[in-house]
This record gives sequence, structure tokens and C-alpha cells, in this order.
Amino acid sequence: MWKTIASFLPDWLIIIQSLIIFLIPYFIWRFFIYIRERANIATIKQESENSQENTCNFTGNLNSDLKFIKKEIGHNSDVHFREFNIGNTGIHAVIIFIEGLSDKDLIDKYIMKSLMIDFSNENISAFMTEEGFNNIIKQQVLSISDVTNTQNLNDLVMKVLQGSTALYIDGSADVFILGTTKGKTRSIEEPISEALVRGPRVGFTEKLSENTAILRQQGNIKSLSFIKFQVGKRGNKDLVVAYIKDLANPDLIHEIEKRIKKIDIDYLPESGYVEQLIEDNYLSIFPQLQSTERPDRVISALMEGRVAILLDGTPFALIAPVTFSMLLQSPEDYYERWIPSTLIRLLRFLAAFIALLVPALYISFISFQPGLIPTKLAISIVGSREGVPFTVLLEALIMEVSIEILREAGLRLPKPIGPAMGIVGGLIIGEAAVNAGIVSPIMVIVVALTAISSFAIPEYNAGISLRVLRFMAMFCAAIFGLYGVILFCLFLCSHLVKLKSFGIPYASPAVPFNLNDWKDFIIRVPLMMMKRRPKMMKTKNSIRQK
Amino acid sequence: MKKNISGKLALITLQVLLLPFLTGCWSSHEIEEVSLEIGIALDKGYLSSIDKEFEEQDGGYQKNNNITITFQTVNTKGIGNNSKGGGSSEQHSYLNVSETGDSTFQIVREIPLRRDHPIIGHHLKVIIISEELASNYSIKDLLDSYLRDNDIRPSCLVLISKGRASNALETNVIGEIPSFRLTKMVENGYRSNKILPAMPLAKLTGKIQSESSFLLQNVISADGEVKLTGAAVIKGKTNKVVGFLNEEELEGITWINGKVKGGVVKSSVKGQIIAYEIKSMKSKILPHINSGDITFEIKIETEGRLSENWVNRGKPSDNKFLREIEKSIEAEIKSLMENVVQKMQNDLEVDVAGFGNKLKIKHPKVWKEVKKDDWDVTFSKLPIKYNVEVTVADYGAVSSD
Repeated sequence: MWKTIASFLPDWLIIIQSLIIFLIPYFIWRFFIYIRERANIATIKQESENSQENTCNFTGNLNSDLKFIKKEIGHNSDVHFREFNIGNTGIHAVIIFIEGLSDKDLIDKYIMKSLMIDFSNENISAFMTEEGFNNIIKQQVLSISDVTNTQNLNDLVMKVLQGSTALYIDGSADVFILGTTKGKTRSIEEPISEALVRGPRVGFTEKLSENTAILRQQGNIKSLSFIKFQVGKRGNKDLVVAYIKDLANPDLIHEIEKRIKKIDIDYLPESGYVEQLIEDNYLSIFPQLQSTERPDRVISALMEGRVAILLDGTPFALIAPVTFSMLLQSPEDYYERWIPSTLIRLLRFLAAFIALLVPALYISFISFQPGLIPTKLAISIVGSREGVPFTVLLEALIMEVSIEILREAGLRLPKPIGPAMGIVGGLIIGEAAVNAGIVSPIMVIVVALTAISSFAIPEYNAGISLRVLRFMAMFCAAIFGLYGVILFCLFLCSHLVKLKSFGIPYASPAVPFNLNDWKDFIIRVPLMMMKRRPKMMKTKNSIRQK
Repeated sequence: MKKNISGKLALITLQVLLLPFLTGCWSSHEIEEVSLEIGIALDKGYLSSIDKEFEEQDGGYQKNNNITITFQTVNTKGIGNNSKGGGSSEQHSYLNVSETGDSTFQIVREIPLRRDHPIIGHHLKVIIISEELASNYSIKDLLDSYLRDNDIRPSCLVLISKGRASNALETNVIGEIPSFRLTKMVENGYRSNKILPAMPLAKLTGKIQSESSFLLQNVISADGEVKLTGAAVIKGKTNKVVGFLNEEELEGITWINGKVKGGVVKSSVKGQIIAYEIKSMKSKILPHINSGDITFEIKIETEGRLSENWVNRGKPSDNKFLREIEKSIEAEIKSLMENVVQKMQNDLEVDVAGFGNKLKIKHPKVWKEVKKDDWDVTFSKLPIKYNVEVTVADYGAVSSD
């Protein structure tokens, strides 16, 4: 009996093979768990190293405190200390400000002049108490709007470095901080990275207060809320979370606030830092926050119940959560009429497909499935590949890499010679390489098509991630042919379906399926039919129009 | 210590991830390293002088040299180098390779012994079988390897050649590929009713399996030129060629089974030529059963235009004259059909016009009875009536004369 059973059992070879097939995904799984654990350990370590700030208060003695302040920031050439007497009272005072950051006009006319010349002795009796004196200075003498007090050295240094002027009056430990900031800004310009034919010509600037003002100007939205955070341990920066209070899901806001509070880093030069520090899956190739320069884009995202994050010092605002379809949409889809918009949107999906898969399909057709190309095309491909010394994969890699280099170089080249170099590079790669017989002309067409397609995607970083994935697809195709391309697509789909951006599935509304949200997915239905906000956002109020 | 273990783990994972690359691209053969076969000609075995030379030098294997197969591949050296110009234009854009043997499949696999590029069948467009071969061997056996091969598309056409099949794969025109020429010619049915509807491998299997007789387009060739002329009759029982229909007989067949998409009927009125261009036609084969006797009635309705009229003082605008023309065309069509039915019933004893199929559909019980005997034999004794109705709907831009 054992023999009959044994005859049904597979070979050792098959058992070993099945074991290997089991082990491969297991090891991949373990590998990623290992990476995640390491990342967690690193963050825990950082948290434990939290430094405690030393608090340092003023004493009220001008000379000793001034020494103290000078020790802290006095070595800087741009910090100015101006000592003087208030009126004819003989009270010693000093103002501290930074040249260039503070408005000198304001300081001269409304601070120095009021304190030195316009100051009268009428209320001399009130000088008896320190509090009364400060009140009079604040209420009667200083004719500027933004006046606060501080007794802390660090606070003072921070404010002065941002452009405020500190007024220290001898005998008072309460230092006035006067809002005289006049930072350098540029004028509002059209966003370069997201140019549109139709739509507002306004882009964000590097100044946070201006950006929030631009958002306010987008319409009188009463419930538009700005929550301010301080980020960066060493270089402190303002960060604003913007949302519409009666639309955005409170859980979402809570989650974003939680993640922003977790940021524990020296300095954040750009919102890309914020993006990378709060995103869900840093191993994923897809951007999980949308960055934009366009206020209209931010406002319409807020109107869908999303949340925007604005950082001081960068014109790029972040929008969260993001779905994959958003990366293929442009604000113009809504500004133009629905039929052309739908067609253009379909075109973008096609472009994404081309950018991702066409070289891979070409490789698999040429080296594995020659039967799937029309005969005449097959013949002309054979004719054009005659004499090409490389395999298709190598040929494709050469061309793709050189196109990427050309793109990268075009970005760096100075404006006057940029286009010229682009043309020369393109010609050399396209024309000369073909004539030299290094690559086939059809490969040039394929590569050029994919390069152009990847730029047709409105979101720059989405284009980049598709470009990276294209190389993976090409390798899969070179190893397994169409079978490999299908495997790659399955792998990609399973990743997309699993990925979430702030709790919203990345592939929605396709997965999880939601027919209502399909109105604004691959096609864009007429505005009259888009009566509700996206269901996936779980907004407080879903009715957009009646 | 812990770090050491995780480092090892990472290393193992990396090794596992690299495993698929070790296997390499085992089935990858780039398109320019294989030959695309686009046409095949099957002939009775003959040895060329080179073949004989090879055999003298002890090349070859145990075989009877029953079949010679000519493979037509694309000569890629003649194509695609247009940009470089020069002498390539003098070359033919196809390359014919012949190999002799017994098994059609083994012959294909003999090619790698003689050529650097093995042959792949994905783009096979046409198979031509010579009459000599097809009357000795069953078509089923000859095409078996092609029907089994899942590389070859079922849309590949099958033709019969009255002469040597490999001659049909020759041309004198530089740049023309004979296999493509043949497939395009078969598609010309909308201009002539002397062309049978295409018979691809997909349809052919059905015919072979059902054991019913059928027709294959005949192609003849001379000096690099080819012509579609008539059809070969293949008997269902044996799947061998038993005879040929000439062009006029083929016309009759297309009228009977209603496969006319366009073409000309030449007739005469008062001894002068008139030509009728077929615009549309409907044909019905009606089987009748009268107390056990089977009779067939063919009903044809056609509409077209008078394209040519040599008759003196014959005004097509005159209804009487038009009737006359219609009558003469009706008679011509009728005689075409009678002619071919006569040949089918008396000479060849086959039914290739689809009479049996109609009977099967209309009277399945009767069909079950007659099926026991040989239908082709039964058919040859059945009376057939004709009913043709021609309407000249249009006589062109000239109304008088």
C-alpha cells in the first residue's frame, strides 16, 4: 500500500522547487520587515536624544543683559545695537535689529522718533512703577501695530533673527518685540512647473504669509482654517495646515497634525522634506502627497475635503491625501468643457501607459513574441535591426539612459544654450546613432515616444516614478517576455492596491470600487452631474451643488 | 551579534532575489536572428543539383524524398537599407529555400542545418499544394503539422497549384513578395466572381473533419507570373484532389452558393456584346421533398448595372430593350450554373456547392437517411431547377445607344 501512495507523491526535485517558490516571497517579506524595523529603531533613538532647552530670563539690568545678548548674537555683522536715552528722562534704552530684515524707515520714524523726540514728561508720575511705564510706552508712544513682550533671551534672539526689533528699556525685564519685519520677497508670478493655457496666472511665492493671503483671496471662504506649526529644531520654520473646517474629515486633520508634530529634524529647506517625513510608505515609488504651486489647485483640493500643507520658504504646497488618478489630472480639466477635458484625460492615461510599458512591450515582441506584430511591421523591424550589434534590451537601455541624461542635462544647462544643446543632443542620438548602425530607427521612435509621453503627465514627480518603473518593466520583459510584463503589471497593481495615502486607498475609486467617484476619474462628466464631493474623502458635508 | 544576523538575512534575500537572473532569457530569440516564413509550397519530391551533390558527399538521412517543401522567407538584407541606398535595390526581397524529405515537420527542422537563421512560422500567410501531391496524398495528412503547430496562425491561406507549387512563389518584379501578392489577390473577390472566398486553415479543418467535399482556389504560374484560375475539387471521403473546375465553372459555383461580391456577366443581345456588372445578389438553395424524392431549386435574385452595350440602336432607357438584356443575362447565368452542376453530377460525382448542407439544415431527418449512403453519389442523380431574376437597376451615364 505504501508503494501505491508513494507513486502519487512528487519527486524530491519538485518538493525542493516548491519549497524555493515558497521561500522567495517569504524572504522578500522578511527583507521588508527587516528594513522597517531598522527604520523604527532609528526613529526611537532620535526621540530619546531630545535635547532640553535652557531657559534664560532677563534681569532688568541693561548692561548685564546687553552683554548677555551680545554674547549670543553680537558677533554677527548684520545685528545692530542702537543705544539711546528715552526723551529727556535719562532712561537708558537699546534697540536691536537686523539690517536688511527690518524696516529701517519704520524704526526711524515710529520707534526712535517717538521715543527720543516726541516723548513728553507729562506722565512722569506713571514712571514710578515699571508696569505703568511699560503700559505707557505700549499704549501711547509706540505707534506700530505688532508689539509683544518677552522676558526670555532665546525668544528675543529668535524674533530678532526673523526681522523684529527688540526694545530693551533699562530697569524692565520685559523686552518689547516690535514687528518690523520686512523680508525680501519676489512678486507673484505664473507657476513655471504647472503652466496652463486657461486658468489663473497666480503661483505661490516663498513667503508663507503671502501664500496664506493668496489662499484667502481665492474667495471668501469663512471656514478656511490655517493651523500654524513650528517645525525644525535648529532652524525654526512656520508650517501651516490649511483645510476647510466644515468639510474636511476631523480624523484626517488629526492624523496630519499628529504626523507633523512627529517631525523632529534640524531644518526643513523645502516642503519635499515634509512630504518625505510624513508619507505613509517611504519604500513606495509613487508620490503620496501632491506638490503644487497653484493656489487654485490647492483651493479645489480643499473644497474636496483634502488638506494642504504650506511651508515657509517654498512655493510648493502639499496636498494630502492623494490618489493615483489625481496625478493624471490637471486643473484645466475642470476649466475647459467636459468633452475635450475627458478626451485629454483619456489621452493622459494612454500617455502613462506608453511611458510605462511601450519599451517593455517592444522588447518582448522583438525577442520573445515575434508573432504578435503585424507581418509587414515585423519585416521592416527586421530590416531596420539588421546590423545592430546589440540585443534589444541593451539597445533600449542605451537609448533610454541617453535620453534621461539629455533630459537631466537640459535642466542644468543655462537658458540661452539649453535648447541648442537639446537639439544637438537629440540629433546626435537620433540621427547619427542610427546612421552609425548602433541603434535601429524604430528604437529611436519608441524611446522618443516614451520620453514625450512621460512629460505629458501633469505631475512631474509622477512622471519620474513612471520612468523608473519603465526600467523595471524593461528588465522583466527581457527576462520573461510578455509573461514578464504581465508579472510586472501584477506586481505593480498589488502594490498600488495596498498603498494608502493618509488612510485613502491610492487606487481609489477603482479599488475600492465606487461608482460615484468614477464621474471624476478616467472621464470627467459635466459639472452639472458632479453634485457631490468625492465619497472616498468621507467629508462632513458632501453636497457640492443642488 | 544581532546586526550580524540581519546582515546575513539581507545577503540571503539578495541572493534569492537574484535567482531569476541566473536562468537567463532562455526562450529569447531576437527577431532578426530568425527567418520569418511567409509562404510554403508543397511539391512532389525532387532533388535539385545541389541536393544531389550533398547526397553524393554522404549528406542526408534515411528518407524516400516524397515531398519537397519550398519555404519563402523575407530577405531582410534587401529591405530597410533604403536610407543607405546603393545596390540593395537589385536584390529580390524574398528568399526561397527548398528541402526534400518525407515528414513535413522534419523538413522544417532540416533548415537549421543549411541556414544560419532557423525558420519560424508565426507569419506564415499562404500554403500552396501542388496538384500532383494533393491527388496522391490526403490534404489532411499534408497539412497536419501546420494545423497542429500553434505558432502558425489559422488565418493562413491554402491554395492548390496545377503546376509546380514552388513556381507560384517566384516573381520577376523587384521588391514584390510573391506570398503577399497571392494573399492580396485572393482578397480581390469584390472585383471578380471567379475567385473563391478565402479558405484559411481555420475553415479548412472544419471541412476536413466533416468529410464533405470542397473547393480550393487553383493558382497557375508561368515565368514569375501567377493567375488564379478555377478551383480544385477535393473529395470529402479521401481528402484528395479529384478534378478541377475551370473559370466558368467556378463562376457557376459562386452563383449557386451566393458568394458573389462583384464581377461581370458577359452576354449577347442580337449577336452583340453586353456586359452586366453585379452589384448585389442573393441566392437560395431550396431543397424539396416530394414523397421521398429530393429535388433542389436554386433561386437567384441579382441587381446590377449595364456597364457595356455594343448593341446598335439599343436604348437601355427603353423598357423593352432592358427586358431583353435582362433575359439574356438570366440565360447566361443559368447556363453557367447548369454547366457546373452537370460537371459535378456526371463527371466528378461530388457536391461542392453546398446542396447537402442546405438539405441538412432544412430536413435533418431526411439528411440522416441519405447520409448512410455516400451523399456525393446520391447528389449526382438529383434533379435541380433554376430560377434566375436579373434586374438592371442602372445603365450608367449614357442613356441612348
